[in-house]
Amino acid sequence: MTYLWLALAFIAAAVVAGVIFARQGARPGEARKHWKAVGLAFAALAVLTAVFDSVMIGMELFHYDASHILGLKIALAPIEDFAYPLAGAVALPGLWMWLTRKPNGSSSRSRPNLKGLVPQALLASRPVSWVNTAYPFAAAMLLTTRDIDWVLILCTFYFLIPYNLAMYGINDVFDYESDLKNPRKGGIEGALLQPRLHRPMLWLAAITNIPFLLVLAFAGGPAAWISLAVSAFAVVAYSVAGLRFKERPVLDSLTSSTHFVSPAVVGLALAGANVTSGLLILLASFFLWGMAAHAFGAVQDIEPDRQAGIGSIATVIGARRTVRLAVGLWLVAGLAMLAAPWPGPLAAIIAVPYIVNCAPYWNVADTTAARTNVAWRLFIWLNYGSGFLVTLIFILQWSLTS
Amino acid sequence: MGVLYLASLLLGISCMLLLDHRFRLFFWRDAKAAAIVTAVGVLFLLGWDLAGIGLGIFLRGEGTIATGLLLAPELPLEEPVFLLFLVLCTMVLYTGARRMLDLVPAKRSEKERETV
Repeated sequence: MTYLWLALAFIAAAVVAGVIFARQGARPGEARKHWKAVGLAFAALAVLTAVFDSVMIGMELFHYDASHILGLKIALAPIEDFAYPLAGAVALPGLWMWLTRKPNGSSSRSRPNLKGLVPQALLASRPVSWVNTAYPFAAAMLLTTRDIDWVLILCTFYFLIPYNLAMYGINDVFDYESDLKNPRKGGIEGALLQPRLHRPMLWLAAITNIPFLLVLAFAGGPAAWISLAVSAFAVVAYSVAGLRFKERPVLDSLTSSTHFVSPAVVGLALAGANVTSGLLILLASFFLWGMAAHAFGAVQDIEPDRQAGIGSIATVIGARRTVRLAVGLWLVAGLAMLAAPWPGPLAAIIAVPYIVNCAPYWNVADTTAARTNVAWRLFIWLNYGSGFLVTLIFILQWSLTS
Repeated sequence: MGVLYLASLLLGISCMLLLDHRFRLFFWRDAKAAAIVTAVGVLFLLGWDLAGIGLGIFLRGEGTIATGLLLAPELPLEEPVFLLFLVLCTMVLYTGARRMLDLVPAKRSEKERETV
């Protein structure tokens, strides 16, 4: 039965994609021909599948765990094997029609100019920070399972690129809307992403993320479903119109920190880690670190944000108190690590450079807040040093426990 | 270690590309769009494979006509090649069917013209 459920899930995804592509891509009157051709192609594929699947199974190229399949067969081919050609025939011609559709003079639907979408999306996804989401995931999972398997590789790739593509792609699309409403913030010129790329960017985020999320949900249990859902929700809710958590003081820092901590939680959930006090201290400490990082980052934007009427933790409590809050959070994060089991306490030292970097702005005023940009740029590089130290501690932990 | 399966797949792919070339169906009509469709199709089906392998449903056989080389546990070298073949076959069939469906009404209207 398992194979049937797996097949139904992938067919469902293919049907949804196929119908959407066909609706978007078909010229008037073209849809009937399209589905007729899809039917013909699938009929031919089904005959080929019945013949060649039987041959391939007969030659023992592969076989199935009998407890997972329905047992209904056409020749030697289990009925579920027809799901592959079905999904392919439903979805791919639609994609093809959508990609090759001709601009229709009278209709408003014309071929969008997608030039520059992928380079712009990659640039927008901040490649310098990709590792910040992939590392917490990979470290959490690898240290738990001590084994490199396909879930680890697939999910590390997911948190390295598609996840960041969605996070920053959605952000740049909806920041444009908020910038337009606030011409003082730069209006059209100040925005990063051209409007013609907005819809394609959201599509790109969806098609690069949803398949990974589905596969990973399959690979894990309820704990993985919940953590993946929280992670995906935080990515969307941070910037999407209507939610805009990034403009809600305190919630902005909480959501931003979730962006970096949730991949680690997903890793632990997929690995089936035992919840220990040491693990909770580590995650809490990481979360405080993330909140401090976001809050401190918001300080430099106080002036432009206020002029644009955008709220953030820093615009509400002011530059000075935000800097002090960030220093305090980093301090608590470091002290908390002292309570973790060995070699956790070593990680307390990592808090020191952040506090030293930030402390000179202890008395910063709202009017001089922009100067914290110097510390912010250093902060981005400090993260690499911290990652190095964290890795050394993880290696020590590995050698102590194996 | 056998190469019969891999060789058959490559032969099948070549045949699909020959049909494509002869009738200007897929890559020879819009190479960029065809490349995107092919990549999306292969990755989608490969993800499906990996999910099936992860759930313990798909098991590799010990057939003597396969190379026996593995890309990952239970995922033989031939699998992505097979998926590539499946995608090409699907698209050649679809674009071919579209071509034939386009010819039908043209013939009909010609006939009508003759009778009127």
